[in-house]
Amino acid sequence: MFCHGLISLDGGCQQLCHHRKIMSLCHSYVPNYFSIPDILATQEKVPCTFEVQVKHLGFLDPGSDKRDIEVGTNIELPFWMASVLKTQRPAIADVGLPKIFKESYRDILKADPVVVDLHKLAPYFYEFGMSLCMLNHRESPEIVNVLVESFKQRFRKILDWAQHSNIEVPESKKLDNAEKIIYQAGREVGSSLHLWLTEGGSLIMAAGMVMQHKKMKLTQRDLLQ
Amino acid sequence: MDPSEVEFIAEKERVSIVPNFNNATVHLISGDVGPFRAGLPVNVPVWMALNLRQRQKCRILAPDWLDVDKLEALKEEEKASKYFTKMPSEHYMVVAQLILSAVEDDIPRIEEIRMAVKNLWDVRISKLRSSVDTFIKSGGSHARLDYLTTMEINSVRPLLPHALDFIDRLNKASEGAPRRDLSQD
Repeated sequence: MFCHGLISLDGGCQQLCHHRKIMSLCHSYVPNYFSIPDILATQEKVPCTFEVQVKHLGFLDPGSDKRDIEVGTNIELPFWMASVLKTQRPAIADVGLPKIFKESYRDILKADPVVVDLHKLAPYFYEFGMSLCMLNHRESPEIVNVLVESFKQRFRKILDWAQHSNIEVPESKKLDNAEKIIYQAGREVGSSLHLWLTEGGSLIMAAGMVMQHKKMKLTQRDLLQ
Repeated sequence: MDPSEVEFIAEKERVSIVPNFNNATVHLISGDVGPFRAGLPVNVPVWMALNLRQRQKCRILAPDWLDVDKLEALKEEEKASKYFTKMPSEHYMVVAQLILSAVEDDIPRIEEIRMAVKNLWDVRISKLRSSVDTFIKSGGSHARLDYLTTMEINSVRPLLPHALDFIDRLNKASEGAPRRDLSQD
């Protein structure tokens, strides 16, 4: 519920993510309160239908100027709020599927996932889909299926782009953010391999920690003198 | 790993050289090298061979697989086989690159050899790429990778592990663990 205050603190977190992405794909193994992708993914709006009357929260519905939210009102709420409303017992609101995960959109992804601009549908398409499935919607298995199949089909393209071009492929803008991390990691390896093949090996650099240690020792010695 | 780190590991491979000096056995952590007798071939690690060669202290004898006909034969075999075939050296690409760059004038037909090595590499890499793709699409969880060299394995990292990691996470989402079940608190 209080995710938003965190965004201003994200500098440190992002650095951590950047550091860790080298070998392990840094993402939350949900739930992870401090994961930035998670916070951003759960900003996406989902349609909610209220099942009980909520006093004094009428301002959430931009279409009405009543003081309370009546039973049966349909409002689009961010996912982080909707999930809490849904998991209360008894549930305060029922959460529907956003249109990008409805059957018509799923059919598009089933037909040819490679050409779809996932970034336009939702920047954190997979993350959002995964979060959505945790609400045990009756179409969840179907959604997971589509997510997995789309990723598998799109992977070939990511592999090709990562290993075969030195410049960033303009079409990579169509990748969802998780795919982008994979693509970037692959591209770094691809270009360093290419460089090695054409120009031969370079000097191996000492790890950052070792260098810092040396510097510290030097300054300590300077201080002693 | 960076390719230069793989190269560092590969420099432990041994090659034959003909030294033009005399020296007693050199004791190294990785094992003894020598003794060196002028004119008699001796087995040394690649890094030592390159260093001696730079100082004009030896002649490097190219490994017998570093030869146009042998490499062509390997390439044909690789093309014909569905699986990866055994390479003469665990680090064939690195050893070939290093030796070929050091011995410009000792070996005849050096350009042809270079081309043959590159062709072999290309065939294997494209095979690797298509097998990675089929592996992902078929949704397998393990694969046998016989005879892949370190540099080749390194070329699909970290793409492949990341992708597998991600697919695993997507699959786990269907198990549908409730995210925050406040009512149980």
